[in-house]
Amino acid sequence: MSEELVPIRFYVNGEQHETQVKAHDLMIDFLRERLGLTGTKRSCDMEVCGTCTVLLDGKAVSSCSLFAFELDGKNLTTIEGLEGPDGLHPLQKAFIRCGGFQCGFCTPGMILLAKSLLMENPDPTREQVCEYMDANICRCTGYQMIVESILHAAKEMQAANR
Amino acid sequence: MAGAVGENLERVDGYGKVTGKAAYTGDLNIPGMIHGKVLRSPHAHARVSKIDGSKAEQIPGVMAVLTRENCQVATPYIGAMIKDQCLVAFDKVRYAGDIVAAVAATDENIAENALDAIEVEYEELPAITTVEEALADNAPLIHETVRRARPPQYGRGASYILHEKSNICHHFRYERGDVGAGFKAADFVFEDTFYFPSAHHYPMESNVSVADFNKDGVTIWASTQGPFGLRQEVARVFGLPLSDIRVIVPYVGGGYGGAKGLVPSIIGVALSRLARRPVRVNFSAEENFKTICQPRAKITMKSGIKKDGTFIARRCQLFLNAGAYVNSTPSVAEKAGYRGHGPYRLPHVLTDSYAVYTNTVPTGSFRGFGGPQVAFSYESHVDMIAQRMKLDPVDLRRKNLLTKGEDFAAGDTPTDCDLKGALAKVAEAIGWGAEDTPAKPGVKRGKGLACALKDGGGTKKASHANVKILNDGSLVVFSGSVEIGQGVQTVMRQIVAEEFAVPGDQVRVDEIDTRYTPFDTATNASSATALMGSAVFNAAVDAREQLLQSAASRLGAPRSEVKFENGSVLCREQRLGLSDAMRLCFGDSGGEIIGRGFFQLPTDLNVPLGSPTPFWEIGFGAAEVEVDESTGAVKVTKYVSLTDAGKVINPIQCRGQDEGAAIFGLGQALFEDMVYENGRLMNPNLVDYRLPRFRDLPPEFKTIILEEGGGRGPYGVKGMGEGGILAVAPAICNAVCNATGVRIMEVPIKTEKLLQALQERS
Repeated sequence: MSEELVPIRFYVNGEQHETQVKAHDLMIDFLRERLGLTGTKRSCDMEVCGTCTVLLDGKAVSSCSLFAFELDGKNLTTIEGLEGPDGLHPLQKAFIRCGGFQCGFCTPGMILLAKSLLMENPDPTREQVCEYMDANICRCTGYQMIVESILHAAKEMQAANR
Repeated sequence: MAGAVGENLERVDGYGKVTGKAAYTGDLNIPGMIHGKVLRSPHAHARVSKIDGSKAEQIPGVMAVLTRENCQVATPYIGAMIKDQCLVAFDKVRYAGDIVAAVAATDENIAENALDAIEVEYEELPAITTVEEALADNAPLIHETVRRARPPQYGRGASYILHEKSNICHHFRYERGDVGAGFKAADFVFEDTFYFPSAHHYPMESNVSVADFNKDGVTIWASTQGPFGLRQEVARVFGLPLSDIRVIVPYVGGGYGGAKGLVPSIIGVALSRLARRPVRVNFSAEENFKTICQPRAKITMKSGIKKDGTFIARRCQLFLNAGAYVNSTPSVAEKAGYRGHGPYRLPHVLTDSYAVYTNTVPTGSFRGFGGPQVAFSYESHVDMIAQRMKLDPVDLRRKNLLTKGEDFAAGDTPTDCDLKGALAKVAEAIGWGAEDTPAKPGVKRGKGLACALKDGGGTKKASHANVKILNDGSLVVFSGSVEIGQGVQTVMRQIVAEEFAVPGDQVRVDEIDTRYTPFDTATNASSATALMGSAVFNAAVDAREQLLQSAASRLGAPRSEVKFENGSVLCREQRLGLSDAMRLCFGDSGGEIIGRGFFQLPTDLNVPLGSPTPFWEIGFGAAEVEVDESTGAVKVTKYVSLTDAGKVINPIQCRGQDEGAAIFGLGQALFEDMVYENGRLMNPNLVDYRLPRFRDLPPEFKTIILEEGGGRGPYGVKGMGEGGILAVAPAICNAVCNATGVRIMEVPIKTEKLLQALQERS
């Protein structure tokens, strides 16, 4: 395998990074092993389950199926970046309040995909939530309480913006 | 703050899990840690004639190569019930994916490449995939010798039948009454055969562990539901005392019964001993598929019935495809067999349940533990009987369901909730008896329901717990129940908070470390809240009593004049908060109280399984489906799930467990199946193996959780979390038949087969 190093410059959770990566390094491994951002989890490794979801320039992508060098020039949000100085993000609070997780392994990816949904559509219907969130898999909850968590967060966020 | 029980107390693991800070085994980076990978057999059945790891050992970065040649252990055989699986192949490989060798290297890529340098020669043997092939005359024996544990200690009516020189590894029989006489006395006899798939647990987190073998002993960080069972197996294989082995359990990314952690831990310990470094073994998703699955089942139900619909006799034959290695499958066969007659009054029963070796992926426990397989069969069978006898399926069930207090089997715990009431509730919730609302042209709509139960809480499980009162009045729980997502940490916190009448955040639930945590059999069989909950409750009561005795002696009062009330120690006019009471007893800086609790039901050979079931876990369900007659596609438009928690400790968590179980059932009814061609698993990945997704969520989905108080746990609590899976497949198939007239005998429902049946019907 190529050992060629690629220089990259990018933001992770608002913090600038400049480093070099091997051309074949996967984004998920780079995040977990080099940056210590282990909140991003690996599961199917073939872009089906969404467990490794991160937001690249605000867009939900599977970090298991991207190279680390694709971070270059981008702004990345991982689950570690959601909690602000004022505390948890409304989605994080809603997942706790409404039972949106159990084992928690899919939760970082699930919350980030939901964030992407609410950025595109701040007031989704139950059907729209199910359609959008269909990209991610949860094996524990049976999905309904995740849907309720997202709908609850949407209401809270809208109320806060009013 | 009395009343912690029954509240939606915020989950102990909430903050960590929504922020990504909760540490799972795969997130750990132990100093000096290297990476282990395993070499798997391409053949379903072969003799390993030669294996040579010397070339792999020469590769820079390779720290250890483990083969049978250098595997110095007390015994290479592991397994929950039958010691049938070698940590690496010694003589044969028995399924495509069987572990032949392992490598530890400084980097995962180096380890992967080193596997290719291991030289293996195989002599292929005839392989068998199905139970039929395995039971045929002259079928090749998959295990020439079977290292059985002691035969199970069964009680009244149950027996274990040994088959020598056979692929049958376990044969459980349960008999009562005289089934022959029962069939003679019956007005009708019906017989149907059903097929249930082999599903994979697919926890989102794969099998993973980190093992460190050094001169002080062995430390293992593992994603496991059974840290103490894991410790036992490591001790046995490596010939070490239990005290030298320490199993630490970080958060677990889903369990569902999949015996996670055992295989990677044993391999990891062996590699770590050779490499003298901590070794992480983290299976890929594909390897996980090839590690364990649910046993596939073929089940025949034959029933004798009186003209008025009264059931009198049932003959069940169950064949479980146990795969190459069987883990807990003998026990699955036993439990599935014991539950074969369902929640009904049946005076004459004869059940034979077989677990049969084949050259397929190993099997073991899976959410429901044989329950989904038999419930699909007996509840489809009951609807077929109703249809043949032109009876309403709800009336037929009502007539035969056990009543509260009635014996499921003489000697065992009597039925501990109102099953007829439960049936009425699901029937009402689905609108049973009401006209179906019209569907679009070409789409048929129908309803179906199912009633199932399982003996819950395991058999003869032991749970120990400690509760500490620290000097400042804060409390710590030491319990071996693993947080696998079900919310057990929060439940234990609620029980202790309730017993001390303190806010939940005054109670800490400690991480599991077998060096300090008291013994628990395992986190399985929906047992934690009822069994460990009892142990924790008992430990809290013991700690409270110690405090009261100590306070009485300090105050110079008789014990009878000191009591605990609303979080305070009360003695005559004096009221001391928990911290003041502790300081009274121990001074301002020293001392603590350790309360001990234990729970285990006794052996009782009047009970078929040798000990009474802690509780009956019920799973009733009703489905409304739409079947598209032009495609055969089935859509579940409404699902109602009902269980009895005995007493709800945490309402959101109970609902989450039941909903999660129901969607597990939906997967088995509609999609999930491990598919083999020529002895090879064809779909060991999420592209080809379809799991339930958001789009499959029924638009109307309701969970009813009863609190009938009949459990043996504290406050009358029972277990739950498996019940919800039991009724799903039969309720959906009964609804499909109600909609279209087509009876499904095999799940998952195959769209093309249903379409063909729809076309043949018209």
